[in-house]
Amino acid sequence: MISLDSTKCIGCCSCSNVCPSKNITREDVGARRIIRYKACQEFCDICVESCPGKALTLAAQGEDVEIAFDMVRCEVCGAPYATEKMLDRIRTSIPADLQVDSTGKSWVGICPMCRRDLERERAARPIIASRGR
Amino acid sequence: MPVYVDINRCIGCRSCEVACKNAHSGRSYVEVKVIDHRASVPVMCHHCEEANCTLACFSGALTKDGARTAFDIHKCTGCGLCAMACPFGVVWTDKTAHKCDLCGGAEIPACVATCPAQALSKDQEVAAKRARARAAVAAVLGGRR
Repeated sequence: MISLDSTKCIGCCSCSNVCPSKNITREDVGARRIIRYKACQEFCDICVESCPGKALTLAAQGEDVEIAFDMVRCEVCGAPYATEKMLDRIRTSIPADLQVDSTGKSWVGICPMCRRDLERERAARPIIASRGR
Repeated sequence: MPVYVDINRCIGCRSCEVACKNAHSGRSYVEVKVIDHRASVPVMCHHCEEANCTLACFSGALTKDGARTAFDIHKCTGCGLCAMACPFGVVWTDKTAHKCDLCGGAEIPACVATCPAQALSKDQEVAAKRARARAAVAAVLGGRR
Protein backbone atom coordinates (compact mmCIF):
# COMPACT_ATOMS: atom_id res chain seq x y z
CA MET A 1 0.00 0.00 0.00
CA ILE A 2 1.06 3.55 -0.48
CA SER A 3 0.65 6.76 1.42
CA LEU A 4 0.46 10.14 -0.24
CA ASP A 5 2.05 13.35 1.00
CA SER A 6 -0.33 15.84 -0.59
CA THR A 7 2.04 18.77 0.03
CA LYS A 8 4.65 17.17 -2.24
CA CYS A 9 2.33 15.95 -5.01
CA ILE A 10 2.59 18.18 -8.08
CA GLY A 11 -0.33 16.61 -9.93
CA CYS A 12 1.67 15.33 -12.87
CA CYS A 13 0.11 11.85 -13.07
CA SER A 14 3.31 9.85 -13.39
CA CYS A 15 1.84 7.41 -10.89
CA SER A 16 -1.38 6.86 -12.81
CA ASN A 17 0.63 6.36 -16.00
CA VAL A 18 2.87 3.68 -14.57
CA CYS A 19 0.47 1.79 -12.24
CA PRO A 20 0.17 -1.69 -13.80
CA SER A 21 -3.07 -2.53 -12.02
CA LYS A 22 -4.86 0.79 -12.61
CA ASN A 23 -5.26 1.47 -8.89
CA ILE A 24 -4.34 5.09 -9.53
CA THR A 25 -6.54 6.96 -11.93
CA ARG A 26 -6.61 10.49 -13.17
CA GLU A 27 -9.55 12.46 -14.40
CA ASP A 28 -9.43 15.88 -16.00
CA VAL A 29 -12.81 17.58 -15.80
CA GLY A 30 -12.70 21.05 -17.26
CA ALA A 31 -10.03 22.95 -15.37
CA ARG A 32 -9.94 20.48 -12.51
CA ARG A 33 -7.69 17.41 -12.24
CA ILE A 34 -8.60 14.66 -9.82
CA ILE A 35 -6.21 11.82 -8.99
CA ARG A 36 -7.65 8.84 -7.09
CA TYR A 37 -5.59 6.29 -5.19
CA LYS A 38 -7.30 3.03 -4.38
CA ALA A 39 -6.01 1.24 -1.29
CA CYS A 40 -4.08 -1.35 -3.29
CA GLN A 41 -3.03 -4.80 -2.19
CA GLU A 42 -0.04 -5.07 -4.50
CA PHE A 43 3.54 -5.53 -3.43
CA CYS A 44 5.02 -3.16 -5.93
CA ASP A 45 6.59 0.26 -5.70
CA ILE A 46 6.60 1.39 -9.32
CA CYS A 47 4.56 4.51 -8.55
CA VAL A 48 6.83 5.35 -5.60
CA GLU A 49 9.88 5.12 -7.85
CA SER A 50 8.23 7.18 -10.61
CA CYS A 51 7.10 10.14 -8.51
CA PRO A 52 9.01 13.30 -9.43
CA GLY A 53 7.93 15.00 -6.18
CA LYS A 54 8.69 11.97 -3.97
CA ALA A 55 5.18 12.33 -2.62
CA LEU A 56 4.48 8.60 -2.42
CA THR A 57 5.87 6.15 0.12
CA LEU A 58 5.13 2.53 0.86
CA ALA A 59 2.94 2.09 3.92
CA ALA A 60 1.73 -0.81 5.99
CA GLN A 61 -1.83 0.44 5.88
CA GLY A 62 -3.68 2.61 3.48
CA GLU A 63 -7.07 3.82 2.41
CA ASP A 64 -8.64 5.36 -0.67
CA VAL A 65 -7.23 8.83 -1.18
CA GLU A 66 -8.23 11.55 -3.58
CA ILE A 67 -6.35 14.70 -4.50
CA ALA A 68 -7.58 17.52 -6.71
CA PHE A 69 -5.83 20.36 -8.50
CA ASP A 70 -7.02 23.47 -10.29
CA MET A 71 -5.41 23.56 -13.70
CA VAL A 72 -3.68 26.72 -14.89
CA ARG A 73 -5.16 28.26 -18.01
CA CYS A 74 -2.97 29.23 -20.95
CA GLU A 75 -2.33 32.97 -21.18
CA VAL A 76 -3.00 32.87 -24.92
CA CYS A 77 -5.81 30.39 -25.64
CA GLY A 78 -7.25 29.96 -22.14
CA ALA A 79 -7.20 26.17 -22.22
CA PRO A 80 -6.24 24.43 -18.96
CA TYR A 81 -2.90 22.72 -19.50
CA ALA A 82 -0.94 22.11 -16.27
CA THR A 83 -1.09 22.39 -12.49
CA GLU A 84 0.43 25.38 -10.71
CA LYS A 85 2.84 23.09 -8.88
CA MET A 86 4.15 21.63 -12.14
CA LEU A 87 4.84 25.12 -13.45
CA ASP A 88 6.47 26.07 -10.12
CA ARG A 89 8.77 23.12 -10.57
CA ILE A 90 9.66 24.31 -14.10
CA ARG A 91 10.36 27.80 -12.72
CA THR A 92 12.73 26.39 -10.10
CA SER A 93 14.47 23.72 -12.19
CA ILE A 94 15.33 25.90 -15.19
CA PRO A 95 17.72 28.90 -15.05
CA ALA A 96 15.82 32.22 -15.15
CA ASP A 97 17.46 33.38 -18.38
CA LEU A 98 16.12 30.30 -20.18
CA GLN A 99 12.57 31.03 -19.04
CA VAL A 100 12.15 33.97 -21.38
CA ASP A 101 12.10 34.11 -25.18
CA SER A 102 14.24 36.44 -27.33
CA THR A 103 11.87 39.35 -26.62
CA GLY A 104 12.15 38.85 -22.85
CA LYS A 105 8.65 37.42 -22.49
CA SER A 106 8.15 34.42 -20.22
CA TRP A 107 6.73 31.34 -21.98
CA VAL A 108 6.00 29.25 -18.87
CA GLY A 109 2.40 30.47 -18.66
CA ILE A 110 1.67 29.53 -22.27
CA CYS A 111 0.48 26.05 -23.26
CA PRO A 112 2.67 23.91 -25.57
CA MET A 113 0.23 24.25 -28.46
CA CYS A 114 0.36 28.05 -28.34
CA ARG A 115 4.14 27.94 -27.88
CA ARG A 116 4.36 26.09 -31.21
CA ASP A 117 2.04 28.61 -32.87
CA LEU A 118 4.07 31.55 -31.55
CA GLU A 119 7.29 29.92 -32.70
CA ARG A 120 5.85 29.42 -36.18
CA GLU A 121 4.58 32.97 -36.36
CA ARG A 122 7.96 34.35 -35.30
CA ALA A 123 9.67 32.28 -37.98
CA ALA A 124 7.16 33.13 -40.71
CA ARG A 125 6.97 36.90 -40.12
CA PRO A 126 10.03 37.91 -42.21
CA ILE A 127 9.04 35.50 -45.00
CA ILE A 128 5.48 36.85 -45.14
CA ALA A 129 6.81 40.41 -45.23
CA SER A 130 9.11 39.58 -48.16
CA ARG A 131 6.35 37.78 -50.05
CA GLY A 132 4.28 40.93 -49.82
CA ARG A 133 1.15 41.60 -51.90
CA MET B 1 22.79 18.29 -34.79
CA PRO B 2 19.15 19.22 -35.36
CA VAL B 3 17.18 19.33 -38.59
CA TYR B 4 17.46 22.81 -40.09
CA VAL B 5 14.44 24.33 -41.81
CA ASP B 6 14.57 26.70 -44.77
CA ILE B 7 11.11 28.22 -44.49
CA ASN B 8 11.51 29.96 -47.85
CA ARG B 9 11.40 26.53 -49.45
CA CYS B 10 8.65 24.87 -47.43
CA ILE B 11 5.55 24.28 -49.59
CA GLY B 12 3.37 23.07 -46.72
CA CYS B 13 2.79 19.59 -48.15
CA ARG B 14 3.24 17.93 -44.76
CA SER B 15 5.26 15.08 -46.26
CA CYS B 16 7.64 15.42 -43.30
CA GLU B 17 4.76 14.75 -40.91
CA VAL B 18 3.85 11.58 -42.81
CA ALA B 19 7.46 10.42 -43.01
CA CYS B 20 7.85 11.05 -39.27
CA LYS B 21 4.67 9.09 -38.55
CA ASN B 22 5.95 6.18 -40.62
CA ALA B 23 9.25 6.21 -38.79
CA HIS B 24 7.70 6.45 -35.32
CA SER B 25 4.79 3.99 -35.23
CA GLY B 26 2.04 6.39 -36.17
CA ARG B 27 3.07 9.51 -34.29
CA SER B 28 4.54 12.61 -35.82
CA TYR B 29 7.00 14.83 -33.99
CA VAL B 30 6.90 17.47 -36.70
CA GLU B 31 3.95 19.83 -37.02
CA VAL B 32 3.40 21.94 -40.12
CA LYS B 33 0.93 24.79 -40.23
CA VAL B 34 0.21 27.48 -42.78
CA ILE B 35 0.50 31.03 -41.47
CA ASP B 36 -1.62 33.76 -42.99
CA HIS B 37 -2.07 31.78 -46.27
CA ARG B 38 1.43 32.88 -47.24
CA ALA B 39 4.03 30.77 -45.46
CA SER B 40 4.14 27.29 -44.02
CA VAL B 41 6.40 26.41 -41.13
CA PRO B 42 7.33 23.00 -39.76
CA VAL B 43 8.28 22.95 -36.08
CA MET B 44 10.18 20.15 -34.37
CA CYS B 45 12.72 19.60 -31.62
CA HIS B 46 15.65 22.02 -31.89
CA HIS B 47 17.95 19.70 -29.94
CA CYS B 48 18.97 22.71 -27.83
CA GLU B 49 22.50 22.87 -26.48
CA GLU B 50 21.19 23.70 -23.01
CA ALA B 51 18.04 21.63 -23.28
CA ASN B 52 15.37 22.63 -20.77
CA CYS B 53 13.67 19.26 -21.14
CA THR B 54 16.78 17.46 -19.87
CA LEU B 55 16.92 19.85 -16.89
CA ALA B 56 13.27 19.18 -16.04
CA CYS B 57 13.40 15.41 -16.55
CA PHE B 58 13.77 13.75 -13.16
CA SER B 59 14.01 10.15 -14.34
CA GLY B 60 16.96 10.54 -16.70
CA ALA B 61 14.91 9.64 -19.78
CA LEU B 62 15.96 12.82 -21.60
CA THR B 63 19.70 13.36 -21.88
CA LYS B 64 22.17 15.13 -24.10
CA ASP B 65 23.93 12.63 -26.37
CA GLY B 66 26.49 14.85 -28.06
CA ALA B 67 24.54 17.42 -30.06
CA ARG B 68 21.42 15.26 -30.00
CA THR B 69 18.80 15.38 -27.23
CA ALA B 70 18.24 11.66 -26.77
CA PHE B 71 15.15 10.07 -25.29
CA ASP B 72 14.95 6.70 -23.53
CA ILE B 73 11.31 5.62 -23.46
CA HIS B 74 12.04 2.86 -20.92
CA LYS B 75 12.96 5.42 -18.26
CA CYS B 76 10.03 7.77 -18.99
CA THR B 77 7.12 7.87 -16.54
CA GLY B 78 5.01 10.32 -18.53
CA CYS B 79 5.05 13.06 -15.90
CA GLY B 80 4.90 15.75 -18.60
CA LEU B 81 7.45 18.09 -17.02
CA CYS B 82 9.54 18.04 -20.22
CA ALA B 83 6.55 19.21 -22.26
CA MET B 84 6.06 22.10 -19.84
CA ALA B 85 9.80 22.90 -19.92
CA CYS B 86 10.10 23.09 -23.70
CA PRO B 87 9.94 26.74 -24.85
CA PHE B 88 8.86 25.66 -28.32
CA GLY B 89 6.22 23.13 -27.29
CA VAL B 90 7.78 20.35 -29.34
CA VAL B 91 7.65 17.63 -26.72
CA TRP B 92 4.33 15.82 -26.63
CA THR B 93 3.22 13.64 -23.72
CA ASP B 94 0.54 11.12 -22.93
CA LYS B 95 1.58 7.93 -21.16
CA THR B 96 5.16 8.75 -22.11
CA ALA B 97 6.92 11.67 -23.73
CA HIS B 98 7.22 11.85 -27.51
CA LYS B 99 9.78 13.93 -29.32
CA CYS B 100 12.09 14.01 -32.34
CA ASP B 101 14.99 11.60 -31.80
CA LEU B 102 16.55 12.35 -35.20
CA CYS B 103 15.40 8.85 -36.18
CA GLY B 104 17.63 7.28 -33.57
CA GLY B 105 20.68 9.17 -34.75
CA ALA B 106 20.36 7.93 -38.36
CA GLU B 107 22.55 9.55 -41.01
CA ILE B 108 19.54 11.20 -42.68
CA PRO B 109 16.27 11.46 -40.71
CA ALA B 110 13.06 10.42 -42.48
CA CYS B 111 11.71 13.99 -42.72
CA VAL B 112 14.90 15.27 -44.40
CA ALA B 113 14.97 12.34 -46.82
CA THR B 114 11.36 12.84 -47.84
CA CYS B 115 11.03 16.64 -48.13
CA PRO B 116 10.25 17.22 -51.84
CA ALA B 117 11.19 20.90 -51.64
CA GLN B 118 14.52 20.28 -49.90
CA ALA B 119 13.43 22.66 -47.17
CA LEU B 120 14.83 20.39 -44.47
CA SER B 121 18.48 19.56 -44.13
CA LYS B 122 21.05 18.44 -41.63
CA ASP B 123 23.46 21.11 -42.86
CA GLN B 124 23.11 24.49 -41.16
CA GLU B 125 24.86 26.22 -44.07
CA VAL B 126 22.33 25.22 -46.75
CA ALA B 127 19.71 27.81 -45.84
CA ALA B 128 22.34 30.53 -45.42
CA LYS B 129 23.90 29.77 -48.83
CA ARG B 130 20.48 29.96 -50.50
CA ALA B 131 19.72 33.27 -48.76
CA ARG B 132 23.01 34.70 -50.04
CA ALA B 133 22.22 33.48 -53.56
CA ARG B 134 18.76 35.07 -53.41
CA ALA B 135 20.26 38.34 -52.20
CA ALA B 136 22.77 38.28 -55.07
CA VAL B 137 20.05 37.67 -57.67
CA ALA B 138 17.96 40.46 -56.15
CA ALA B 139 20.95 42.83 -56.32
CA VAL B 140 21.54 42.00 -60.02
CA LEU B 141 17.87 42.44 -60.87
CA GLY B 142 17.74 45.75 -58.99
CA GLY B 143 15.39 44.63 -56.30
CA ARG B 144 12.97 42.78 -58.59
CA ARG B 145 12.37 39.14 -57.87
